[in-house]
Amino acid sequence: MKKLNEEQLNGLQKDLDAIRDEVLADIGERDANYIRRIIRLHRTLEIGGRVMMPFGFIPPVFIAATASLGIAKILENMEIGHNVMHGQYDWMNDPSLNSQTYEWDTVCTSDSWRRTHNYEHHTYTNIIGKDRDYGYAVLRLSDDEPWKPWHSLQFINYILLSVLFQWGVGVHELETEKLMRREISWRDKLPFLKQATRKGGRQAFKDYVFFPVLTLPVAPIVLAGNVGANLIRNLWSSTVIFCGHFTQDAETFTEKECEGESKGHWYLRQLTGSSNFTGGKWLHVLSGHLSYQVEHHVFPDLPAHRYPEISEKVQEVCRKYGIPYNTGTFGKQYSTVVKRILRYSLPERLVGTAARA
Amino acid sequence: MLAKITQTKAIHWLGRQLLNRDNPAAYFDPLATAINPMWVQEYTPAMVERITEETADTKTFVLKPAKRWAGFRAGQHVNICTDIDGIRRTRTFSLSSSPTLWERQGLITLTIKRLPGGLVTNWLHDSLKEGDVIGLTDAFGEFLIPEPAKPVLFIAGGSGITPILSQLDTMADQNYRAPVTLLYFVRTQDDVIAREKLAALTERYSALTLSIITTHEDKEPRYLNDKDLEAIPGLKAREIYLCGPKGLMDLANDLLHRRGLRDKQIHSTFFAPPAQAQLDNDQLGGEVTFTGSNLKVGSEGDANLLEIAEAAGLKPQHGCRMGICHQCSCRKTSGTVVNRLTGKVSGPGEESVQLCVSVPRGPVALDV
Repeated sequence: MKKLNEEQLNGLQKDLDAIRDEVLADIGERDANYIRRIIRLHRTLEIGGRVMMPFGFIPPVFIAATASLGIAKILENMEIGHNVMHGQYDWMNDPSLNSQTYEWDTVCTSDSWRRTHNYEHHTYTNIIGKDRDYGYAVLRLSDDEPWKPWHSLQFINYILLSVLFQWGVGVHELETEKLMRREISWRDKLPFLKQATRKGGRQAFKDYVFFPVLTLPVAPIVLAGNVGANLIRNLWSSTVIFCGHFTQDAETFTEKECEGESKGHWYLRQLTGSSNFTGGKWLHVLSGHLSYQVEHHVFPDLPAHRYPEISEKVQEVCRKYGIPYNTGTFGKQYSTVVKRILRYSLPERLVGTAARA
Repeated sequence: MLAKITQTKAIHWLGRQLLNRDNPAAYFDPLATAINPMWVQEYTPAMVERITEETADTKTFVLKPAKRWAGFRAGQHVNICTDIDGIRRTRTFSLSSSPTLWERQGLITLTIKRLPGGLVTNWLHDSLKEGDVIGLTDAFGEFLIPEPAKPVLFIAGGSGITPILSQLDTMADQNYRAPVTLLYFVRTQDDVIAREKLAALTERYSALTLSIITTHEDKEPRYLNDKDLEAIPGLKAREIYLCGPKGLMDLANDLLHRRGLRDKQIHSTFFAPPAQAQLDNDQLGGEVTFTGSNLKVGSEGDANLLEIAEAAGLKPQHGCRMGICHQCSCRKTSGTVVNRLTGKVSGPGEESVQLCVSVPRGPVALDV
């Protein structure tokens, strides 16, 4: 990691706080209108998708309905749910957009998400051993984690995780790796399991039982469309999220170097541990502006549609302190993610030998 | 009734299954707001039918709430909510019309004075137009006409007249059979709210005696005094209703107590944030634990729980910030708090507290 002395870290904190304060001073109706517009779009797409789905025996309608529902779920999870739960819109004082009570359209319960993502991942970002989002305890993505033979097949795990992403996120807090190592007991996880089962049951009931049965004569079509919509969302959100921290140059940290860290050091870690990708306006909206992962990690509770506006200022701060600002096209960033997954499926000595040869 | 409850339960169940929310109808609200704001389900929408000027700084807003609104009793108030610059604001106002108007024509009125520097009252005066829609809660409040009929004395100051207008209208409609006196204090004749309505009331309701007293038209201010009370026949047997600025309320309370009237007879309602109770600062403050957010912060002096939470970076739901609307109510799991308005000290156990008027006295734990 780029090393800064204490004075530089304090300066970094001051500069980033200034960007944050500037946005906070300007927050208001424009931001409220933005999120409400996205919510209206979400409602329109979800209702439209569900209404069209029973007519999916006409192939183009099937495609339109599935895409509509899939995009609705993407918008709800990425641009609405994820961002609302970060408290980005708490200042609106609107009970339906409150970070602590919002419940989103995916298997993971919002309570579990607020613990594992908002607290653990955003606090301990990319610290191997503390940030369980780094590889999701399924993938080995850095040499800090010792190689085991089963890692050699981890690309298959990655594909499975992407396809079943909402279920993977839903059981993330179960901490199976710790259960297997007997560090925690199943009894500790009982309350979580109960909540997770209830929410998972709801999601499955809605998409795979209720709506298909409601339109019984065409149940298989509705079921297939709903499975398709969930799959679209799973693949997309997984891909976006993997591009956020697992690209080639996104750095990892050890627990030791982060002990008792200052706010400035936390900022530095967020800047160097995250990566952006570039693209058009709708690519950013559909990624919940996680395409500005760097800005998001530095300011997780600023309304996400502001990230493009402050990106240039954040880059300026990076240049000032010589901190790399990790960005590239979507294709380029994603290809480095795939390379990383493949590279770390092999032990260090093999890859090292290959590199020398 | 039972059918309605089971229906509600079933709807909530379905809402949770399909839309991850208790009230499935509210899922459509964002679309309703764009198409027809009167379809919104989260609160009761009310359309502004008419706005009339009462005085230079007071307007009456005639509202038509959606039909499902539950109605009210004379003397009650409602919370209204509206988004100003993207932020949902909630404030409490007394209803100034009689319930009969709601029952017959589906209309209610709020008579609102512009408060200097007041964010919401100024917005209502300057920006709210006919045809706009604002949100309403159910009516609440215990400032109610005595039943069965008893002699009544109203003492109102300034815009404190509003709930009393509703009560007098209702009493006139019912032909309430007991002497009713209203002492209405205003700064000058120009500040009289609802002058015509009051004149019409004295005309059609013979039990009513009205005196309008101006406090600031002479060199010396002329406040409520013993003579005013002495002139009221059978004062000791009357139910007293006070609504006005704190100075008037304190003075009236004092004079009435000295004349031997009991607390039980005296009913007060606040139309503006009541002045804060005198708190002994030495005992206040303490460590506040926000259990839901895994956060512990210290506090000193008379900072309230809402301020403490906000200073710690939390953003709990809130409304009026003056102890009226209960938007910020949440569970206190342990510890003692002092109510900033009443000076009352809470018990140490689990109970619901209003963050914006509760000051910790020693360590407090909250489910926030």
